[in-house]
Amino acid sequence: MSTAAGHVDPLAAARQERPSTLAEATEALRRADRDGERVLFLGGGTELSLGAPPTGVEVVLCTERLERIVEHAPLDQIVTVEAGVRLASLQDVLARSGQMLALDPPWASRATLGGLVATNAFGPLRTRYGSIRDLIIGVSIVRADGTEARGGGKVVKNVAGFDLPKLMVGSLGTLGFISTVTFRLHPRPQTERTVLFPDLDADAVRRVVLGLREAQLEPGAVAALVREGGDDLGVRFDGRFELGVRFDGFEAGVRQQGMKLLELATRRGWRAESLGAETARAFWARHDDARESSAGFRAKLAAQPMELERVANAAIGSLFTALEVPRCVCYPTLGLAFVAGEVRVAGQVAAAVTAAREAIPDGSVVLHAAPPEVRAAVDVWGASPAALPLMAAVKQRLDPGRRLAPGRFVGGL
Amino acid sequence: MSAPSVVTPAPAVEPIPAPASVIDRLIAVVGERNVIREPADLRTYECDALTSFRAAPSVVVLPASTEEVAAAVRIAVEAGMPVVPRGAGTGLSGGALPVKGCMLLGLSRMKRILEVDLDDGWIRVQPGVINLDVSKEISAAGYYYAPDPSSQSVCTIGGNVAENSGGAHCLKYGFTVNHVRGLRMVTAAGEVVDIGGPVLDGPGYDLLGVVVGSEGTLGIVTEVVLRILRKPEATRTFFATFPSTDEAGNCVSEIIGTGIVPAAIEMMDRLAIQAAVAATGVDWPDVGAALLMDVDGCTAEAEHTSEVAVGIARRTGAIEVRVPRSDDERMLMWKGRKSAFAAMGRLSPNYIVQDGVIPRKDIARVLSEISRLSQERGFRVANVFHAGDGNLHPLVLYDARIPGQEHAAEEMAGEILRICIRYGGSITGEHGVGADKAPYMGEMFSDADLDTMARVRCAFDPGTTFNPSKVFPTPRLCGDRPGPYRPHATEVAGLADRG
Repeated sequence: MSTAAGHVDPLAAARQERPSTLAEATEALRRADRDGERVLFLGGGTELSLGAPPTGVEVVLCTERLERIVEHAPLDQIVTVEAGVRLASLQDVLARSGQMLALDPPWASRATLGGLVATNAFGPLRTRYGSIRDLIIGVSIVRADGTEARGGGKVVKNVAGFDLPKLMVGSLGTLGFISTVTFRLHPRPQTERTVLFPDLDADAVRRVVLGLREAQLEPGAVAALVREGGDDLGVRFDGRFELGVRFDGFEAGVRQQGMKLLELATRRGWRAESLGAETARAFWARHDDARESSAGFRAKLAAQPMELERVANAAIGSLFTALEVPRCVCYPTLGLAFVAGEVRVAGQVAAAVTAAREAIPDGSVVLHAAPPEVRAAVDVWGASPAALPLMAAVKQRLDPGRRLAPGRFVGGL
Repeated sequence: MSAPSVVTPAPAVEPIPAPASVIDRLIAVVGERNVIREPADLRTYECDALTSFRAAPSVVVLPASTEEVAAAVRIAVEAGMPVVPRGAGTGLSGGALPVKGCMLLGLSRMKRILEVDLDDGWIRVQPGVINLDVSKEISAAGYYYAPDPSSQSVCTIGGNVAENSGGAHCLKYGFTVNHVRGLRMVTAAGEVVDIGGPVLDGPGYDLLGVVVGSEGTLGIVTEVVLRILRKPEATRTFFATFPSTDEAGNCVSEIIGTGIVPAAIEMMDRLAIQAAVAATGVDWPDVGAALLMDVDGCTAEAEHTSEVAVGIARRTGAIEVRVPRSDDERMLMWKGRKSAFAAMGRLSPNYIVQDGVIPRKDIARVLSEISRLSQERGFRVANVFHAGDGNLHPLVLYDARIPGQEHAAEEMAGEILRICIRYGGSITGEHGVGADKAPYMGEMFSDADLDTMARVRCAFDPGTTFNPSKVFPTPRLCGDRPGPYRPHATEVAGLADRG
């Protein structure tokens, strides 16, 4: 395993377990419990650098052989998978029934469903379909003490008991081993169309977002990429974006919404064009490239959507100045953005992270990847959340020995 | 399971008076008028909409602010009193049922809308705000709050958060949990904590996901940040009648199979249709089943999907398809559907509203099992349900004046839950577990599942102060160390009896 940051691998000394059945996985956890060993769960390894490096891990439990699709019930629009199923292969299976899991994070061919749940990963489809917490309906876990437990179920509507599935979302393997997950599915859209605004400043992006809503348009995906306005010396941030708005669904609705958006653009004086299949693919490929760059530094920014101008100028701007080959993807309807690049001077990048955090005090800047020098200077999670004591209590009750990815999570949990 | 018009009154239970020192301290916090302690007044609070369970609280406190809630909780904790929160008391599972000796926190005075941010898409409200009042507040600007339980004109947001309430339109738009961005909550330590907020993806565990739907067992919510949505451009509705629920069920499956996600798709069987006709005067024919469906979105999409759906209805055996010609007609159709529960009073002196979920594809089989059960046990069952997500509401009709009927009807309603469990469904889709279904939790979940949930509960509330004896089949104490759970003190003392 090499981390994206390329620094010394803290897991090199750990024993690897590769269970091929859930029973074997449970057995491995019971053994670790008996021997008091610390455990890290590993899926596709796409977000291994997220969080603080866990300390003293003795066992790495790899899910790659837990790759069964346990149940796909097309008529009920649900699927249950083992943790190690890769997203792309699941989507292939679902596509045969005209369905999809409405989740399109980066690295779909490597990323596993267990890992995606644990890291709360997402892509542009979140615009319309929400995040994993809106798609997950059931989970089976193995606790640190080897106890198998289940929450939720396989029906979409269900309020029996506490929502353990949501508790697992984004928990980074610190509360239990996610062994199977059940998701609700959506029909694959019949068609889609992207309208591109090739050159907008942050304020105009914000106004397009408002315009979409005023015009009662319901795009499936909205993403803004920082325009590569640089010169031979590299990418410079001049505060300008290209914005893609994708409509999906039935032909009639997609066509009408695309036309309405173009009319709106004309009225407001924004340059916009409806992309053909090729150019649309090219735009979304640029989006994917920016998300998937295996950069030494990657940060996720969260703020209110209407704060975009401040996020762009203060947060994205300062990170772009500090990073080499910087890249950025914004999801302006959600108020979320990713900035990635290479670190040349760690002190400058750390200072830019601090500046970004100061610019959005009610939001967050979380480092998904960063070299040790940057991690030493700034906390990867930022300020502790107000509810940290409750989070610590949950961790204590489910993993009292602190043996699951110790230290990786918020507040050192 | 509720028996809304029980004729035999539950035996009056004398409240256990709260200690005078507690009363004095509470009066100092919220004022004389807002501390209710006369036995006759306390009885007003002895049940929620599930009237077959009753217990009078020792004292009812009506706080007006987060600070007052926190102070009251601290007083209760120091006095060793359980705390039971209550919104409008419309819940159907006994979630707001008092525990003997408890302090009942009535949050209905906390009904201010605190902040609206249309551009960022959220609204911050106190828990006593009525669900429908959220949408009214923002309606003129073209926005609305999506979750729409049938009781939305009276139920409160705080209660919705506790129960993770749904409604007819959650098939497309999700439940309360999908629309809560943040909470302010008073913990069992009497501290105020913010969880989440308007900005997405705050670092840390998704405690919001756990607190929403925890039925008042994890904390007392005093503010809620709700996501609000722009109204869709167009809504198209149709009403279709079928010879039986088989054809109607096939129609639902086919519509969903084409990739349409209806905003709502509701099914009623013959008895439910008769009741709606009797109660609201809708001119629905006497047929075996009916569907009421909404699609929404941009005009072209709504028109396309509604045309396709109407085509499917005709092909799958619809006797008649009606499309409302005006908004008034549409509202009347929905009124017929939404009044179906209450309308049962026209067909039967008493009835139990059941709430269970099954995989959608098994609707026909489950309905025939229910119908077989109905014949065996001699109770009529009317079915009203959210067909799109398999959420059944069988109404078991009985006559409480006949000795033994109420008990037998409740047993039959319980059997329906067992059918839901057997088909891989759930014992509740939207009404919650509360006191009513706690005994069934052990049939749906294993001991280990419940123990894991109980650990989460203990992380929030180690003294099990909040709403004890709800959700979990056996009250538990939180050990400091993992190990077998002991029964809760109130259970040992016979106070948590679920009579």
